[in-house]
Amino acid sequence: MRRFNVLMTLGLLFVFMMLTACPTPPKVEPEATPIDTSTTIPEDVVTEEETDAPQEIIKESQFETVYFDFDKSSLRSDSKSGLDSNYDLLMQFPDVMVKIEGHCDERGTVEYNLSLGEKRATSCMDYLVGLGIDASRISTISYGKEKPVDAGHSEAAWGKNRRCEFKIVSQ
Amino acid sequence: MIEFRKLKPFWTLLTLLICTSSLFAQSDKVRNVYFDTLKIGYVEPTPIGVDEMKYVGNEYIDKNDSSLMRYVTGIVKRDIDFYADFDLVPIDSFFIKTYEILEMDLRGWKRLGADYVLKLEAEFPGRRNMRVYWKLFYTFNYRRIDKGRIEVHRDEWRHMAHRISNEIVRTLTGEKGIFLTKVAYVKKIGKAKEIAIADYDGANERLLTNNGSINLSPTFSPNGKEIFFTSFLEKDPKLFKVNIASGRLTKLTDFPGLAAAPSVSPNGKRLACVLSKDGNSEIYVLDMKGRVKRRLTHNRSIDTAPSWSPNGNYITFTSDRSGRPQVYMMDSDGRRQRRLTYEGKYNDSPSWSTRGDRVIFVSRSKRGRFDIASIDTSGIDYHIMTEVGMNENPHFSPDGKHLVFSSTRLGKPDIFTMDVTGRHQRRLTRTGSCTNPVWGPIN
Repeated sequence: MRRFNVLMTLGLLFVFMMLTACPTPPKVEPEATPIDTSTTIPEDVVTEEETDAPQEIIKESQFETVYFDFDKSSLRSDSKSGLDSNYDLLMQFPDVMVKIEGHCDERGTVEYNLSLGEKRATSCMDYLVGLGIDASRISTISYGKEKPVDAGHSEAAWGKNRRCEFKIVSQ
Repeated sequence: MIEFRKLKPFWTLLTLLICTSSLFAQSDKVRNVYFDTLKIGYVEPTPIGVDEMKYVGNEYIDKNDSSLMRYVTGIVKRDIDFYADFDLVPIDSFFIKTYEILEMDLRGWKRLGADYVLKLEAEFPGRRNMRVYWKLFYTFNYRRIDKGRIEVHRDEWRHMAHRISNEIVRTLTGEKGIFLTKVAYVKKIGKAKEIAIADYDGANERLLTNNGSINLSPTFSPNGKEIFFTSFLEKDPKLFKVNIASGRLTKLTDFPGLAAAPSVSPNGKRLACVLSKDGNSEIYVLDMKGRVKRRLTHNRSIDTAPSWSPNGNYITFTSDRSGRPQVYMMDSDGRRQRRLTYEGKYNDSPSWSTRGDRVIFVSRSKRGRFDIASIDTSGIDYHIMTEVGMNENPHFSPDGKHLVFSSTRLGKPDIFTMDVTGRHQRRLTRTGSCTNPVWGPIN
């Protein structure tokens, strides 16, 4: 009975919507924009972080995520520049130990992607070691396609999922 | 501003309503999806009719008893309908049975096209048990060709129904039926992925792991008592095994880096898997305690997904040594490594057919779809077996006549089974969160 009531109110609300929605859109749209700007306010937080210039503690989010092409573990030029800035961070904080997490998009099988993710993490590690970071400061792990950041099935989503993330183990 | 805030719930409601209505529309469509497949060869299944179960006891029975009889008949019908060699004869609306005489009855079934007719009779001895007499008739000469009696506790009616179906397979083909086998797979629960096990038809699902971590790639031991798998339980992926009956978990490997893709040899004494302890994914053979016995591959590319041939002499695996993942095979000591697949740019997840003559795998088509394909072990005769959705992880049933695989053909991943000709495609799981299936042995 209670469920029926809920359904009824839902239905009524829907009908009400249909009646009221038609004339309102011109009203609602201009009002929607100020809301958008108000929600994207967290700029303050970012500026706060930046003002903390003499930083003692490094944050995971300061490391750049490195992206890859489909079924590739080779580094693109943009991923190399990401790694270069991660190298700078590692040089700046010599006590920090990181773990590089390799990830893949949803295409291909579980087992192959586990190996591919590992290869991606290793190629990031090799690059950093090549630049002079002590190999003992870096470890790798692969999650294959098990932890996508974007659950979508488009090229855009896949591109975001083919990545290596830097996680801080200790500092 | 305030007005808009008031309106906001309305907008969410509206979108919700639209979403749900479109969902309903979609599920309507889903029911009519035609699972298009390519057949490998010509099949002529045996048509079998299954009669409704009759009560032959002396005491009065109640509603529960009669519905139990209907359930058992239903399961037997589903089993026979599923089996690759059989065809369930549907009852035509014109088939009005008024015959009391057996020969007349069988004649009626014969007219519907049934070569064989299964008759079932039930009793409920002591009220707690259920006893079923099954009789199989040949409609060509109206003779009974086999009969049997099965008695179980009435709670085990499902088990009994599968046993009857197994008897029919044994009588008509001489082979062992698969109706009491299990299928294991990975089930996503929240952020975790757990190992689940169910009957071959998806019933009686239960979780073997419940650790909230990511557990992957289950594979049965040859005796069907244990499942080996990869788990992130201790952060890095390591190999574990779980006892199906007791649920006891044992860690097998503790190497640095990745340990994945376990496959138990047919004699149950060796475990092929992938380790990256030497810097790159290579295939190793371990003993059953997780100690390395032999390294099988040596190169800088990815080698993974090993699967033993039924005689234990060969291992098929995936390697991207040519630049793209392709299916290879080698002797079980790592010698004579050779490439099997050339068609398709992406072939992966190979698994041996039960009879040992073919390897099935996942093949990426030009349109970007992942299909189940098979190839002769000599590297010829490449066939695509599915033509809808993303299909993954094909595995043969222990009788070699059926396949289990995961597919996203209905949107989200679920486990499907089909026979090797591509007929009888059936969905096992309905939660849209299941992948990585593997079919257990006949015990």
